[in-house]
Amino acid sequence: MKRIHKRFLIFGSIALVGIQFIPADANKQVVIPDSDFRHEYDVPNNVMNILESFCYDCHSNNTNYPWYSHIQPIRLMMDHHIEEGKEELNFSELGNYSKRRQKNKLKAIINQIKDDEMPLSSYTLIHSNAKLSEGEKKEIVKWFKTKLKD
Amino acid sequence: MKKINLKFMVALIGGSLIIASCGNNSNSENDAHNHELGMEHDHSNHEHGSTDESRNVSANTGELKGDLSVVLSNYFAVNENLVQDNASGAAKASEKLMISLKQFKGSGLSEEEQKEVNEILESAIENAEHISENAGEMSHQREHLVSLSTDVKDLIAIIGSSQKLYEDYCSMANNNEGAIWISNKEIISNPYMGTKMPKCGNVNRVIE
Repeated sequence: MKRIHKRFLIFGSIALVGIQFIPADANKQVVIPDSDFRHEYDVPNNVMNILESFCYDCHSNNTNYPWYSHIQPIRLMMDHHIEEGKEELNFSELGNYSKRRQKNKLKAIINQIKDDEMPLSSYTLIHSNAKLSEGEKKEIVKWFKTKLKD
Repeated sequence: MKKINLKFMVALIGGSLIIASCGNNSNSENDAHNHELGMEHDHSNHEHGSTDESRNVSANTGELKGDLSVVLSNYFAVNENLVQDNASGAAKASEKLMISLKQFKGSGLSEEEQKEVNEILESAIENAEHISENAGEMSHQREHLVSLSTDVKDLIAIIGSSQKLYEDYCSMANNNEGAIWISNKEIISNPYMGTKMPKCGNVNRVIE
């Protein structure tokens, strides 16, 4: 019994070291492109700050990587979330969306925030304190709603 | 510190498992049944005496710029399932809708109309995809039905339809912000409120 335990531990450690060598691409774009959300809409600073700190990591071409993102399998998980997040909504490219699709996205953002679907609970868990306060939620929902009416 | 690490690892492992399980979306339904949907309105549960509702009333003034009949019957199937609070049925119907939207081709469209149609289709496909992938969350399906219905309405405005259609409206839908949907029946059956209030709403406009 003990032997199995030991083997398991050794094997586990080797695997853990091994996966550290999986190469990782970085989702980085230093220059903010013309198609970025902030150029398409006149976004006030308070809203932009919230978006950048809570949303842009997975929903733009520029991720702010925390130190533990260099550890596997954390990075694999993150890469997966970023890939899916950008496919759904990419703030860096929002200006390239059709007006119809932009409107859909604005609506979806409001709903996701209201229903506490976003930021994802796994994101809030890892980035401690990355949870929107009720005040912040109200602030951005209110602003997005004004944009929807335009 | 140790405690945090442990929590962290548990979260990680849990997260990885979730990712693994999300990976295999079953695609078992395919377009093989697409054509059977033409009969969809036959099993509706209302007793109406009117004559020409589901017939091809070619009352359209302008020339048709494509055949929306498959798209529409798939869209109606999504709605009918949501009227009955059947989320998984709506998901399956929406998968068919997605396929029919991808296959739809307009004809005789001006450059401007074609661009508009492409944008509508892109949006409708995305909305249909969300409905098909959210069988577990009917409120989310209904959120996307709001945009999808606008897409369908705008598509009909450009392409035209050989059936008599109704644009219905319910002010309580969409978190009391109101929403429209398109129906091929005169009576109201509301896909947003479901079995709670299936009759909520009124006919905004008749499209013929």
